[in-house]
Amino acid sequence: MKRVQFSSYFTQYFFIAPQLAIILIFLYLPIVQTFRDAFTIQDAFGFGRYFSGLDNFTFVLSDPNYITALKFTLIFIFVITLFSCSIGLLLAVQANNVIHGKSAYKTLLIWPYAIAPAVVGVTANYFFSERLGILYNFFNGLWGFDWYDNVYDAYIYVFIAASWKQISANFIFFLAGLQNIQKSIIEASIIDCKSSFRRFWTITFPLLMPTTFFLIIINITYSFFDTLGIIDTTTIGAPSGETKTLVYKAYIDGFKGLDLGSAGAQSIIMMLIVLVITVFQFRFIEGKIHYN
Amino acid sequence: MKNLFKFFIALITASFLSFPTIAKPIELHYWHGHTGKLEAIINEIADRWNASQDESVLIPTSKGSYEDILAAFIAAYRAGEHPHMVQVYDAGAAIMVAQVKNGVVYPFEDMAAEYGVDFNKDDYIPGIRNFYADSDGKMIGIPFNSSTCLMYANMDILEAAGVEVPKTYEEFEQIAPKILEAGYTPLLQSHSPWIWTENFFSRHNLLMTDGNNGYDDVPTTTLFADTPEFITHWTKVKEWKDKGWYDYKGRAWGDNQAPFIAGEAAFWLGSAASFSGMKGVVPNFTVNHIPYWDSITGGKEYPTFIGGAANWILSGKSDEEYAALMKLAEFMTSPEQQLFYHNMSGYAAVTYSATDLANEIGFYEASPYHKAVGEQLSLTGSTIPGGYRAGNWPQIREVLYENYPKMLNGEISIEEGMKRMDEGASKLLAQFAKTL
Repeated sequence: MKRVQFSSYFTQYFFIAPQLAIILIFLYLPIVQTFRDAFTIQDAFGFGRYFSGLDNFTFVLSDPNYITALKFTLIFIFVITLFSCSIGLLLAVQANNVIHGKSAYKTLLIWPYAIAPAVVGVTANYFFSERLGILYNFFNGLWGFDWYDNVYDAYIYVFIAASWKQISANFIFFLAGLQNIQKSIIEASIIDCKSSFRRFWTITFPLLMPTTFFLIIINITYSFFDTLGIIDTTTIGAPSGETKTLVYKAYIDGFKGLDLGSAGAQSIIMMLIVLVITVFQFRFIEGKIHYN
Repeated sequence: MKNLFKFFIALITASFLSFPTIAKPIELHYWHGHTGKLEAIINEIADRWNASQDESVLIPTSKGSYEDILAAFIAAYRAGEHPHMVQVYDAGAAIMVAQVKNGVVYPFEDMAAEYGVDFNKDDYIPGIRNFYADSDGKMIGIPFNSSTCLMYANMDILEAAGVEVPKTYEEFEQIAPKILEAGYTPLLQSHSPWIWTENFFSRHNLLMTDGNNGYDDVPTTTLFADTPEFITHWTKVKEWKDKGWYDYKGRAWGDNQAPFIAGEAAFWLGSAASFSGMKGVVPNFTVNHIPYWDSITGGKEYPTFIGGAANWILSGKSDEEYAALMKLAEFMTSPEQQLFYHNMSGYAAVTYSATDLANEIGFYEASPYHKAVGEQLSLTGSTIPGGYRAGNWPQIREVLYENYPKMLNGEISIEEGMKRMDEGASKLLAQFAKTL
């Protein structure tokens, strides 16, 4: 086989330059900037900047509200990933079995994927508003639901808002995964086992593992980073800061409170958390997945 | 084809070349934090200014909420793309006054001395003037939309319950059961940090932070737990909530206002500027002074802090632009424009000449709603400063927002909550002090 090569370095660098420029400007520069902010004290305008060592980190970590936000974020990630993946899978399996009007169902289920998180939050707001909300009144009738006052009710509110949007993303990927499974395997399994429930858990689900693993990572990233708009348009941390995620807190401290040092330190802590989660996933979970 | 192409090139070049020859008015960019009806009023003021002269054009841009605008303009400043004038709210006053020494903010008084025609500092109502001034009393911001917290009362409900508008919280406690009995929520309020914290202190002539509210020294702590009157107030608020006299609907402004608009609540504590949105929507309401505790002040009524925002001139612009800005500032604070703004928005008139004009034309007889804001702000007798200079205040408000619900639902005691708020605030004040 002949190796295709560029005649000079100039040509190759010329072609990758736009991509490199984008990565440098939008990824690496902000990271450098974040590190600079995290280790300095400065006012909002950038005056009086001086190196402060780990001051910003001790300030953040000694804040009881930060620990509350950390706990909530971990619960949030777990619940959102679990709920949206399992419901997405359930819907995908059902939609895959439908014979008539398949594409209509698919289209309807995919729609919410296109909605921006902030819009999801505003929509959820209508459902959970005390005056207009159908869900507020329904839950209120069941157990006196009141997210203004009760932490667990506020949890339910944001969990429903945040996982609803993600269900459709999971649905699409699971459906694609299901359709990739060879018909012959399914047919063979039907001959071997009568119980469709058992067939699913012993044949179909293991074959979906690569998709599931991919979706778990996507969902963790989503619930960690993309839900800022949802929190900001639903509870704003109600009842008393218990429903603030780490990203939302960094946003409040950095953009509303204008404390760039603290926000920078929070970003680095988040970076470390995501790093740990990712390493854990690849080391301990990916090994158990068979791609073929 | 080729000729046509050449023709277009010539046309485009010509259009670029001819640009500088047209005498263009100076563009004055103004970023503000108003939306909805209040934004429409600002646009109307801009239209009036632009129609009144052709030297400069005022271009107002709404940047969302007060918090959003502060972030937006600081980002713009750091990028060197800042507007000429920016509206910054009460909680951001400490940040803006601190930025004079770094040359970010151009003090209004300096601009007036340099470019002003007939600038009379004493014409500004002292409570309003001093809030946006430095510790020597030099005016830094231009007072503009000046509100304060007021009590809105639904007169139909009061009539149904057979009660009068209360002046004090003691009186409120007397009538609250009757309102509840008549089937209405007695009381709601929309901003715990602003109304029932900052303005609780000013209304009762109490200091909120050390360092004389930050006017003498950089404050190191808030005095919540050290003020027994404040603890008593919140103990009462919790009692009211448990009895159903006060209802808390989370921290969103609108959620707490909604029951009043829907005619389900007798009293709502909100901003003077809420008037513009409720006029014609809520039937038969009145605007009243916010109540106070008779037992604390001994029957005396003290003024509240001014709320709302001021306009701040930013540095780095040309002489012509500042000259035009000064004319604009004179236009915006002229009695006629202020009265228009006062009438439309409910914000206070900021100069004596404007209130004089209002009295002269019998404005307050025609519209008694507008009276309360000016009256309450002009009350005298306070021994505390007319404001507070505490940095990181937007985040300190977050700390308060996080603790009040816990105190109200009984998760922590009032005393414990006060202690936690002081601790949280001192840490944030220390963090801010490091940047000075």
